[in-house]
Amino acid sequence: MPEENENPPIFGSWRNWYALVIIMLLLEIIFFVFFTKHFA
Amino acid sequence: MSYPDWIVLIAALLVIILYGVYKSRSSKSLDGYFLSDREMPWWLILLSIVGTQASAITFLSAPGQAYTDGMRFVQYYFGLPLAMVVLCVTLVPMFHRLKLYTAYEYLEQRFDLKTRTYTTFLFLLQRGVSTGVSVYAPSIILSSLLGWNIYVTNIFMGGLLIIYTVTGGARAVAYTQQLQLVIVFVSIFITAYMVVNMLPGDVGFFDALRVGGKMGKLNVITTGMNQKGSGFDWSDQYNIFSGLIGGFFLALSYFGTDQSQVGRYLTAKSTRESKIGLLLNGLVKVPMQFLILLIGVLVFSFYQFHKAPLFFNNEMFEKVSKTSYSDSVKAIQVSYDKINDRRVELMATFHPKNDDIGPAAQEELKNLNAQGDSLRKSFMRIAKKSGVAGETKDTNYIFLRFVIDYMPKGLVGLMIAVIFLASWGSIAAALNSLASASVVDFHKKFINADLTHEQDVKISRWYTFFWGVFSIIVAQYVNNVGNSLIEAVNKLGSLFYGVTLGVFIVGYFLKWVKGSAVFWSAVVSELLVVLIFIMSENKIIGLGFLWLNFFGALSVAIIAILLQASIFKNSRTKST
Repeated sequence: MPEENENPPIFGSWRNWYALVIIMLLLEIIFFVFFTKHFA
Repeated sequence: MSYPDWIVLIAALLVIILYGVYKSRSSKSLDGYFLSDREMPWWLILLSIVGTQASAITFLSAPGQAYTDGMRFVQYYFGLPLAMVVLCVTLVPMFHRLKLYTAYEYLEQRFDLKTRTYTTFLFLLQRGVSTGVSVYAPSIILSSLLGWNIYVTNIFMGGLLIIYTVTGGARAVAYTQQLQLVIVFVSIFITAYMVVNMLPGDVGFFDALRVGGKMGKLNVITTGMNQKGSGFDWSDQYNIFSGLIGGFFLALSYFGTDQSQVGRYLTAKSTRESKIGLLLNGLVKVPMQFLILLIGVLVFSFYQFHKAPLFFNNEMFEKVSKTSYSDSVKAIQVSYDKINDRRVELMATFHPKNDDIGPAAQEELKNLNAQGDSLRKSFMRIAKKSGVAGETKDTNYIFLRFVIDYMPKGLVGLMIAVIFLASWGSIAAALNSLASASVVDFHKKFINADLTHEQDVKISRWYTFFWGVFSIIVAQYVNNVGNSLIEAVNKLGSLFYGVTLGVFIVGYFLKWVKGSAVFWSAVVSELLVVLIFIMSENKIIGLGFLWLNFFGALSVAIIAILLQASIFKNSRTKST
């Protein structure tokens, strides 16, 4: 559906948005693992 | 409650009602009433989306969940950020392009009237009942802890917001949600500060986390693997896989096909504003829930230094204590008091500078907490056996009981106001969406399509009022049925979300599948999901409810493909 895929806000493409949320989720998971270990 | 608490509570509620009425610019058409004339900016969309999802139970249950089960509940939201991007690429621009009022209109354009009507019916059924429970769930907690009459509390919880929701429609809902969220978050973080402040002398925030961490309450990431090492535990509710996969499908369905959310971002002044609101919601959700859960860990640490109640719902405790099980309850209480005393004694030796209480004491503390948990479970078993009507779990009561017992005057009133405001945010959005689906997908379709703009607005107000009254009636009825219904209704969403999402997925991605195939597929899949759920509830199979979203959507897609390729091979329908 190319007409629906246009105009991603802020970044140039949806691929960047996918990358951003996946990287952010990975960083959060890594942070949570270290957070748990640090305070255990 | 003291006078200052009452003053703060009444003032906060009045401010919201007056603000809602003030923002209720008179709407002259359905566009104005249900879509705020499509002129909302992205930040209001973001706050409205967050305010709709975060009900009172979110703020009451999450800290309690962390107190009893640790932080792993945050994994429930892991699938949400990715779902927001997928929705922004697929359904959101299409909804805007088609200038829809409700998500279900799309299904008639893509499939046929019966598919649209069926999904609207599923939505009205699910959202109508769950809104009633959204009224009842916080009311029963306030009623139990403060001794308020439950019927009157239900009327205030579900009734006052009708004033501005009926008059102002979607605009009043969005603007009040904005103010409500500000008050809610400020109050929650004041409470977090107060918890740390009430810890003994030199024990600070990080020390409290260390205490919680050493007692296993900071276990954020769990894999769901069986403790015996025999593979993945499908009945485990919250782990990284159920969160990523089940949570992804739940978020897709909730934000993409539930009118209570779709109705929020359709009010945006452009597709771009909707997308920014949704994408930012995806980015803030996990950190936000993490912080709310962290408050539960702080409360847990607080109760390591202070005596904790055996059961946080004091009304229920009193009732069970007066049954034929009173001797057993007394014996449990005596044992629990001893544990409490020893725990407080041990924690008195806690020195933040040494960062520990010593390995032996730490081990003893762990054992004491395990024994305490076991005694709490014994009491809950007795409460169940006693037949006393009421919740036999106290997770939702922990945070508010702490607030009432330890917070200073004024702050208690503020936190009670928070419960009301958080409830109103999600209930108001639900009423608005129930009314829009009733008017657009039923009334104008089957009763009277030829209405003037004024009549449209008038009938929409009546439907909003009707759903408001309906939700209060459901809330009153739930009280007579008993609290076990709350848990069942909380799972109700997952019974319908997967199937509804499946219909939209087929509509968007499988253009060759037509109306009759998807309709019958949705009917069969709904029966399958209900069957799986019943088997899971009766322990015939073990399956966490988040997985129902995934299986429901998958089932609709597979059965629709099979039906289209066989029985409905020669059927034709419209395509968008």
